[in-house]
Amino acid sequence: MNAQPTFYRERIYPLLFMFIVTFLCILLTAGIYLLTQDRASANELSFTRRAILQAGGVSFENTTAGIELAFNEKIVVEDGYYTTQGPEGTRYIIPLQGPGLWGTIAIMVGLGEDMKTFSGLAIVSQNETPGLGARIEESWFTGQFQGKTAPFVMVEEGTASAQNEVDAITGATRTSEYFLNLTNRAADDAQSIIRGE
Amino acid sequence: MAKNTLRKTFIEPLGKNNPVFVQILGICSTLAVTNKLQNTLVMTLGVMFTTALSSFTLSLLRNHIPSRIRMMVETMIIATFVIIVDIVLKAFYPEMWKQLGPYVGLIITNCIIMGRVEAFALQNKPMLSLVDGLASGLGYTYVLLAIAFVRELLGTGSLWGFRILGSWWTNWSIMIMPPGGFFVLAILIWVIRETIMKEAKA
Amino acid sequence: MNESMMPFAIFFASIFTGNILLTNYLGMCSFLSVSKELKTSLGLGAAVIFVMATTTPMNWLVYEYLLIPFGLEYLRFIVFIIVIAAFVQLTEMTIERYSEPLYQSLGIFLPLITVNCAILGVSLFMVIREYTFLTSFLFGLGSGIGWFIAIIAMAGIRQKMKNANVPPALEGPAITLVIAGFMAMAFMGFSGMIALS
Repeated sequence: MNAQPTFYRERIYPLLFMFIVTFLCILLTAGIYLLTQDRASANELSFTRRAILQAGGVSFENTTAGIELAFNEKIVVEDGYYTTQGPEGTRYIIPLQGPGLWGTIAIMVGLGEDMKTFSGLAIVSQNETPGLGARIEESWFTGQFQGKTAPFVMVEEGTASAQNEVDAITGATRTSEYFLNLTNRAADDAQSIIRGE
Repeated sequence: MAKNTLRKTFIEPLGKNNPVFVQILGICSTLAVTNKLQNTLVMTLGVMFTTALSSFTLSLLRNHIPSRIRMMVETMIIATFVIIVDIVLKAFYPEMWKQLGPYVGLIITNCIIMGRVEAFALQNKPMLSLVDGLASGLGYTYVLLAIAFVRELLGTGSLWGFRILGSWWTNWSIMIMPPGGFFVLAILIWVIRETIMKEAKA
Repeated sequence: MNESMMPFAIFFASIFTGNILLTNYLGMCSFLSVSKELKTSLGLGAAVIFVMATTTPMNWLVYEYLLIPFGLEYLRFIVFIIVIAAFVQLTEMTIERYSEPLYQSLGIFLPLITVNCAILGVSLFMVIREYTFLTSFLFGLGSGIGWFIAIIAMAGIRQKMKNANVPPALEGPAITLVIAGFMAMAFMGFSGMIALS
């Protein structure tokens, strides 16, 4: 009579308890996940589209609806790249990726008609150190490529003056170098993507 | 009487029982994002939410949890709330979610949460545990916001992303870099111990 | 830089420039409390290396072959921590049974490790940065070694410091944080060490 409850309390009850807790926890998270899944994937899409718009130098309203509107109106999707009409002619927007310090950096680069001059640049994804390398996402950094032509030279933060100079990020020399390699590749990559070589 | 306990439970973690100063707990994952006020606020709100609700839930279950699997159940429940924070951030504040990256997930191993559950929630009633969790989270929040305030202001001359100091200001880059976090926290602990703690002792 | 060299660059970066303790502040709790004694630091440091180097690839396999195929990526926090806890528990039991001296020097630190944020942190970084299996292993191993070096150095300094005259309010964790700050600065100096380009 005594053995039964002890066995139950020692073995079955903990297992049962753990099982129920696990079940409820997973049910709860799965429910919330499914409820927000559409929203999350819409955000992903919106992120990429915003990067394309920024790289193309297209002005847009920074909301999900604004991004969609501007994207549908101004951007032409080609095979592996995008184009848009700027004031001085066609702009090509190409996706690029390469190694960063910690992982892959993916960017969108907008090039002018000559396929050399940058019309803009935007980060799609990066995993650099927050507060250091991750500052490549900040607009002062991405903005300084606008209107400049590769090959770029990195100079100390806050000192860029010449046409091909860009400010590096203090404390993130590695990331800055990787980023520079990536952008210096842009013109060549654009040729091969667009000409389909 | 009951009202007094409630009050005391709420006040203590804010002052003389502050989790960061007194117990030096839980600075792990959040200190890494204290170079920006915005990121810090979101992270600490996540910690506060998780601490409060984990304490509440585990306090509800406290008489039913078999002692052998106590840690497992605690981890499970904490992880669940952190996943909720992560999913909600991803859906509604995708930019913040991208910036915080893995640090949201690391809230699970924040020692404050497990510490409050073990030390308080398992002995007290659900409502009281909820208050304790909230207050501990709040005590944690203001300390980390103070650190972020100093680091962002000195490191970038701005607050909340807006430029505050004029162009005469030379950024102390060391502040937004990792060593800055160590120094600011150390100095803060020093100042607090030198002033408030001494009064409390006397 | 050659992309096949990437895993090794990450290995060195995770030991020095991107030291998980000194740049990401992970594993601070045990770092502050254990670094008082050189001997215990050695034990805990070795245990951290072992657990990181084994659980990171394990979590990689679980993530790649269990979570992704079933679309359960959002459960990774729970799954990773369970894998780590279960692995630590198993190792502790094995060591206790087979080697008494090893248990005394290493095994007793294992329970402390489950709550060490650095272990979970490495697994989460690995997922976000989309590492391959080899890179995950080297990243785990490197981060472990980096943590080991940091805690040993700190324990050595703190033992010497027992003779120093520290202001009473700065004693204990505060002065440890100051030293950690200087160590972080010193480790940042390594960033010029490996020329990656």
